[in-house]
Amino acid sequence: MSQSSVSVKTYAFTLIALLALTLLTSLLGLVDLGKFSFIAGVAIAAVKASLIACFFMHALYETKLIRVIMAGGVIWFLVMISLTLGDYLTRGWMPYPGK
Amino acid sequence: MADPIALALREQFHSAEQQHETSTVGMWIFLITEVMLFGGLFTAFSVYRMSHPAAFDQGSADMEFWMGAVNTAVLICSSFCMAMAVHSAEKGKNGRLALFLILTILIGLVFLGIKFTEYYLHYHDQKLPGILFHDTSPDAAYVQMFFVFYFLMTGLHAFHMIIGEGILCATLFRTLLGSFSERYHTPVELAGLYWHFVDTVWVFLFAIFYIPGAHMK
Repeated sequence: MSQSSVSVKTYAFTLIALLALTLLTSLLGLVDLGKFSFIAGVAIAAVKASLIACFFMHALYETKLIRVIMAGGVIWFLVMISLTLGDYLTRGWMPYPGK
Repeated sequence: MADPIALALREQFHSAEQQHETSTVGMWIFLITEVMLFGGLFTAFSVYRMSHPAAFDQGSADMEFWMGAVNTAVLICSSFCMAMAVHSAEKGKNGRLALFLILTILIGLVFLGIKFTEYYLHYHDQKLPGILFHDTSPDAAYVQMFFVFYFLMTGLHAFHMIIGEGILCATLFRTLLGSFSERYHTPVELAGLYWHFVDTVWVFLFAIFYIPGAHMK
């Protein structure tokens, strides 16, 4: 159970980290990184999402059953997006090398 | 007053712990179906983005970048208040719980206010795909496609926010009625999980819609 109770300090640090990462993403957005601005943006978003899940949503403090459910969701999503993009990217339909 | 936990324990459960875990598992399974719902849209967006990167960057440059950035911070603050509300519920401090729920609701409304202001500005700039769309660039069809994704995904997110506001109001109402205690506050936790999930979705929406074209302004 999540009754272990996360401390106020942990929540406060999570808040500060999330706001700092938002500032970092925004500043990165102002620099021209070419293709990488999208990748960098999504990577930072993934870190922020993990922080929210781990601390605000108590993922770190849940039972194994619940962690398996979370992992299942993430894995199925990754299967969906990686197989779909893998298919599109290798057919030569997109302006990228590697057809 | 009777112990709320005795009132809340349904007959099919062995113990309050079992009931609590069952509710939490149910909520997480629901959230996973939501991941799949938004995940399909993210996948479709990625395919279109990779097919037409220039048009999608151009669409992204038309976003109200700073409003999006401020809105991200606003939503993170509301998530923090929600986490504090759950924390107060765990400690059995109902006064603080009500206060943090009110703060969460109000900050959520600020988010929606900024979001709808953005929609109005897009309307003003004639960026409503299919209804009122003005763009003379050669890639206009795919810039329009960017806005289809933008309105669909942020609209679906805003719809989730509005439902979340309703859930939080109901939770606040039950708090004021004295339904929760240190031993029974599962609905507060579940409302919190939903709210944080909606926050997580926005974090990704901000990254994919606002960031790539921000430097082009």
